[in-house]
Amino acid sequence: MDIGFSLEETRFREACRDWLHAHVPAEKRPLNAADAIDFDKAWQRRLFDAGWAGINWPTDYGGRGLSIVQQVVWLEEYAKAHAPWIGANFVGINHGGPTLILNASEAQKAYHLPRILKGEAIWCQGFSEPGAGSDLAGIKTRGRIEGDELIVNGSKIWTSFAHVADWQELVLRTEDGSRRHAGLSWVICDMHAPGITVRPIRKMSGQTEFAEVFYDDVRIPLANVVGGLGNGWKVAMSTLSFERGTGFIADQVKQSQEIEELIAAARANGMMKDDRVADQLAQMRAEVAAVRAMTYRNISHVVRTGQPGAEASVIRLFTSELGQRLERMAVLLKGADILDFRYGDDDAVADYLRGFAATIAGGSAQIQRDIIGERLLGLPKSR
Amino acid sequence: MDLTPNDEQTVFQTATADWCRDNMPLEAARARPAGLWQQLEAMGWTGMTAPGMDLDHATEALVFAELGRFLAPVALLSSAVAARWTGATVKVALALPADGGARLFDGEGATHALGLFGGALGHFEIGEAPPSAPSLDQSATLTRIAGPLTIVAIDHPHAALHLQILAAAYAIGAADAARDMAAAYAQVREQFERPIGWFQAIKHLCADMAVRCAVARSQLYYAACALDAGDAGAAFHVAAAKRLADQAALDNGRANIQIHGGIGMTDEAYPHFCLKRAHLLQHVAPAERTALLAA
Ligand SMILES: Cc1cc2nc3c(=O)[nH]c(=O)nc-3n(C[C@H](O)[C@H](O)[C@H](O)COP(=O)(O)OP(=O)(O)OC[C@H]3O[C@@H](n4cnc5c(N)ncnc54)[C@H](O)[C@@H]3O)c2cc1C
Repeated sequence: MDIGFSLEETRFREACRDWLHAHVPAEKRPLNAADAIDFDKAWQRRLFDAGWAGINWPTDYGGRGLSIVQQVVWLEEYAKAHAPWIGANFVGINHGGPTLILNASEAQKAYHLPRILKGEAIWCQGFSEPGAGSDLAGIKTRGRIEGDELIVNGSKIWTSFAHVADWQELVLRTEDGSRRHAGLSWVICDMHAPGITVRPIRKMSGQTEFAEVFYDDVRIPLANVVGGLGNGWKVAMSTLSFERGTGFIADQVKQSQEIEELIAAARANGMMKDDRVADQLAQMRAEVAAVRAMTYRNISHVVRTGQPGAEASVIRLFTSELGQRLERMAVLLKGADILDFRYGDDDAVADYLRGFAATIAGGSAQIQRDIIGERLLGLPKSR
Repeated sequence: MDLTPNDEQTVFQTATADWCRDNMPLEAARARPAGLWQQLEAMGWTGMTAPGMDLDHATEALVFAELGRFLAPVALLSSAVAARWTGATVKVALALPADGGARLFDGEGATHALGLFGGALGHFEIGEAPPSAPSLDQSATLTRIAGPLTIVAIDHPHAALHLQILAAAYAIGAADAARDMAAAYAQVREQFERPIGWFQAIKHLCADMAVRCAVARSQLYYAACALDAGDAGAAFHVAAAKRLADQAALDNGRANIQIHGGIGMTDEAYPHFCLKRAHLLQHVAPAERTALLAA
């Protein structure tokens, strides 16, 4: 075991740092997905042009073909440089693209992957439905096969970035009368196709980052099915493993900055004299360090065995709850100033309110605990 | 960068666990056989980082986490640290400061003791000590000696960190043992016609135990590597590992008892062993808040 980086990795780190230092935009990313879309696309394009997009994606599809360790180094430097949040490119870069790399046909990969990397195509994730949240196998949206097309009817909800997206990871029922995990398919849905209606939903933090999506006889070519008709559950699980796994490395690095900022703020406003505050900060500083160690351990496991360790769900759960504790502390340190919050503000209060998503979206904390209990500890399945 | 044990380290880890299972089961922790210490010495665990074996902290921490899982004697902590920093080749008792004197753990057959006094690591000659009796942790015997003590300080800043990281490794072992005991019981104990582990209230307690173990163990690995590398942040990382390890051991110790129900709080059953060990370790080189908040 060692925590040192190789000469090549260290050189790579310096190159990341230099480029970011010179190119991170001075202006802030706009708050709402709709306002931020041009910003997100332009920034992604700059990253691509400079060779920083898809660091560990295959070179055939516009990636750099480098190691996952270099990807982590990039994300560490990215966060340290206070570079913008990935925003609307989150789905495509963090789990849409990786799902395609693993499951899609040559034609699908050749078309979509470079567009994702260049920021030309925004993706969204159409998994959840009003009746299928934690219980994803309850999906009702249907695709009837007609010739070489699927005719899609139904609705999705909580679809982040739906109102700005070009493409969607759509999981739907393609077999008549099928139940639960069987008969589902994972398809690439064109969000500009006729019959799609998007109705944005406002969050309690003020942003409209997610939406309801309605499908009314939407035609999707069968060629857009990924991983084979009826194999949707398996493909969706690989999407979720990317979403819950490496997709969150950037957040983890950000937490190490947040804790330092909180400690500085508590020293500045005198609240560090409160023993409970000081102790919580000390505790969280230890926990943030441990998150990095856990991430390194998981990455090492990937390098050694080719797969993330069974503890990926542990990292996800712990990081999401730690993030919320950090956000709560930030709000505590602001005292009654939080009462001045208004929709449109982009501050600690907005982060705190948005942060509730961390233990709900992408598998709630309860579901993660089920997974840990069942897969890691061998306890009987409750569901 | 690689935070998974390499092949050699894995061999050490497995060999340690195998030996402990056969020769030092947790279930027998309340009365260890008289010849155990000689066996531990023969296995090399009293001097892994000392001249001669010269292994790194990472390997030693991995081995001590396994030893901790079986509630190995706490004098291994003090003896291993003494071997590295004072050249001692004999058993050294573990000392905790108490009212100008000290509490000594596992003092039988030891002429010296080692511990943290006022933040600095030191060792001293025991002299005449009253006979030992069991402590809260029944696997460790305790005797009190009165002050003043003539303590010989060990100046190297890494010496105190060495004791802290080994105690953290032990605590992680205890936390692991509690987690595994709880999960095993939750699989077999049936109520309402199903294993209690089926109920989320129990399953999620177990999941939290697994989370605490994974968090603390990861930080242990990082801290041990930081110590080996002479990293500037080593003191912080070791303190963080100790803080998280102590919490894991204490919280898992308590949860394990709850999950066992009535039998969990009996003297006869084993869950209390892990909790009591956690309470002992909590006082060995505790992680100070100042170390965790230091720049
Ligand atoms: C900000 C945000 C963004 C999102 N973006 C997307 C997106 O882009 N695409 C997408 O498809 N979805 C998205 N989601 C949806 C998200 O995946 C779901 O909200 C999540 O799966 C939970 O489903 P639900 O909201 O229906 O809650 P429910 O499943 O109804 O859960 C309600 C409560 O019950 C608990 N619960 C449910 N089942 C169990 C059980 N078996 N045991 C114990 N407790 C249980 C849950 O933990 C939760 O506390 C997003 C959600 C949020 C908050």
